[in-house]
Amino acid sequence: MNDFDAVIIGSGAGGGAVAWRLAMAGKRVLVLEKGPWFTEADYFKDELACCRRSVYTPDLRDERHVIEERDGDGWEATSTTESGWDFWNGNVVGGSSNFMSGFFHRLKPVDFRLRSEFGPIPGANVVDWPIAYEDLEPYFTEVERVVGVSGRVVAHPFLEPRSTPDFPYPPTAEHPLSAWIDTACDKLGYRSLPLPRAILSQPKGQRRACEYSGYCGSYGCSSGAKGSSRAALLDDAVATGRCEVRPHSQVFRLLSDVKGRVKAVEYFDQAGKKQRVSGKVFVVACQAIETSRLLLASTGPRYPNGLGNRHGQVGRNLIFSAGGVSHGRLVFDELGEQRASEARVVGPFLNRTLHDWYVIDDPELGRIKGGVLDFLMGHPNVVSRALSERRDDDGNLVWGSAFKRSLETAIRGERRIDCEAFADWLPTDNGLVALDRKVKDKWGRAVARVRLAPHPHDLKVGVYLAERGARVLRELGAKDVKVGVSDSPPPNLVAGGCRFGRDPRTSVLDPDCRMHGVDNLFVADASFMPTGGSVPYTWTIYANALRVADKIAAQV
Amino acid sequence: MSSDATVAEIPPSPPLEKGGAKPGGLGEWHQALLSRRTFLLASAGGLAALFAPVGTLAATANPWPVLAAVQNHLFPSELGSPGAREIKALSYLQGVMGDLRGDRDEQRFLLKGVDWLEDLSRQRHQISFIDLDPIRREQVLREVANSRPGENWLSTLLLYICEALLTDPVYGGNPDGIGWAWLGHQPGFPRPTRALQRIVGCGDEGTASNTAMRFASSPHPTSGVDGA
Repeated sequence: MNDFDAVIIGSGAGGGAVAWRLAMAGKRVLVLEKGPWFTEADYFKDELACCRRSVYTPDLRDERHVIEERDGDGWEATSTTESGWDFWNGNVVGGSSNFMSGFFHRLKPVDFRLRSEFGPIPGANVVDWPIAYEDLEPYFTEVERVVGVSGRVVAHPFLEPRSTPDFPYPPTAEHPLSAWIDTACDKLGYRSLPLPRAILSQPKGQRRACEYSGYCGSYGCSSGAKGSSRAALLDDAVATGRCEVRPHSQVFRLLSDVKGRVKAVEYFDQAGKKQRVSGKVFVVACQAIETSRLLLASTGPRYPNGLGNRHGQVGRNLIFSAGGVSHGRLVFDELGEQRASEARVVGPFLNRTLHDWYVIDDPELGRIKGGVLDFLMGHPNVVSRALSERRDDDGNLVWGSAFKRSLETAIRGERRIDCEAFADWLPTDNGLVALDRKVKDKWGRAVARVRLAPHPHDLKVGVYLAERGARVLRELGAKDVKVGVSDSPPPNLVAGGCRFGRDPRTSVLDPDCRMHGVDNLFVADASFMPTGGSVPYTWTIYANALRVADKIAAQV
Repeated sequence: MSSDATVAEIPPSPPLEKGGAKPGGLGEWHQALLSRRTFLLASAGGLAALFAPVGTLAATANPWPVLAAVQNHLFPSELGSPGAREIKALSYLQGVMGDLRGDRDEQRFLLKGVDWLEDLSRQRHQISFIDLDPIRREQVLREVANSRPGENWLSTLLLYICEALLTDPVYGGNPDGIGWAWLGHQPGFPRPTRALQRIVGCGDEGTASNTAMRFASSPHPTSGVDGA
């Protein structure tokens, strides 16, 4: 006897969207989330909680990752407790979607067929997707309505085909600097576009419209305007009476039978006691690294090397987001009174993006896949800004009056403006997740060992994009503009590990994101993506999870 | 000894949209790691006086006046701008060092640093750091900063001064937003009404009942998906 029609592991954008769809379709759903359940009332603009202590992510002493990086011919492994380089992102109900900035871009048709469009790249495992943009378009559109995407459609050469003329919500309030960006782009011959946001500009159901505190990305949302999986989907799913969310439930194994069918999941509850729950269908959506880790740890009679891992594909082709950040200083004293007062405004969003180089056609680089640029004000966490003044340009500590003067200059006298470049992180043979042989988490389970193998091509594209972002920053009057591009992965933009495809020897999931050979197991986070596109992942995760949920609903 | 401390020298960077990335590429990161390992070695007590060649190391009976003196030197009170005293940096630091969920290695390291500083001060000037004049205090602290553990110690103290200066008054520093007012910083709203220890703490006790309640009576009546 099955307790639930569907047991969903993880409550972020993937798990939340599946739970919402199935509950609305009359199915009985259980969502297991390892973290606590916070609501709008629990989220404050708290500098320590958001950015300086592990409040929404595990204490690294309890749960860590081991990161491998190239060291000569070998690999050097470092535990994240040792490095402080944290790979957790929002282990709470709603997952890391609680803390996103909600820069929402659709993928474009070209992202579904990189291999056909641009040919192979040596050292990279670029493949076409087994579905096309047209398969996902209705779901991108549905997300605009259900999660709530605000924006304004402007025609441009890279505009993706749309089945509706415009966004269901008008753009959020704009910062005075948005006009500076437009003017600068006009001069440079670039096309400045409104940036869609998963942020409500008008109330929706119980969710309030954005209140423009100026503290959005990396802070939990207190108004409900941010389209987190929790605020936008899970609250409504729970309200049907058919969806239960169990926080503090750390799933450590999926149990499968001799045929390879999943029968149950086991998890540790808040007291550390083992629990087991069964269902008809199981959905894994723990964010890419932990999804692969859970599947690898879930050995069974048919799958001695991990569930769905007959061909050694689970954990392979892990990807992040390539690119970088260009940034410059807006020095109030040098801007003049009017412009300085505009630059000081806190609250509204810059909401500008450039898509001119989604495909780069350059005499030197040839025709290659590019990406997008997004503009935003420097991160508002003022403690971090102060800390960066602790050292002078030579790296020596500064204290006393000198330190105080530099704080006055840096915090009172200026503001940072950023331009982020998003590009494809090419999948490579060595970019992968495995189980660590020695290091365990606090429950005694092997932690994920992540091998980072960035492809040099990513840097070329990142620099190309970020340099153009820097030109805009210089043109609008920013000082000391720097182009920051590295091959370090942003841990909050992670995908792959269980790529979908038609061939079970080279992919983990079928085109419906059902595991090859395991017909009651689906993966609904970003793990399915064989290539990542050059935009943040959340909208694609939502859209694909709704598509996957339709396949599940047809099966249970 | 646990080697699992959160690193002092590499505070968790704010998770920007792309901000989880390491700041400066591999070289810088491994440099920081090296510093981290030295730091742990130091706090393990494996080496005696790491700020300078050894004198006779004795535990300082009351470390707080020394820490207060160091804080006041690092972040002096001035006409028109608050110093360590005004931002309650010492009581903030006491909160950090008494935090049961905090980093035990770091807490020990901060205390041990007081002994090392006192040792160095007595070697150089035969008196406690507290009794030095500002010029000698500066000389001694510059010498401290020349050793890697000493640099790490001062950098950690500056870290908690910055937190006392700019985090919400609910955490014990920045009384009445004195630090924000000085630097013209506008905090976000809603501001925290309780320290995060309480928020974290609810994960231990409060949430079980909270969970049951939320499942039984959902916060939202069934709302249409079209909304607005």
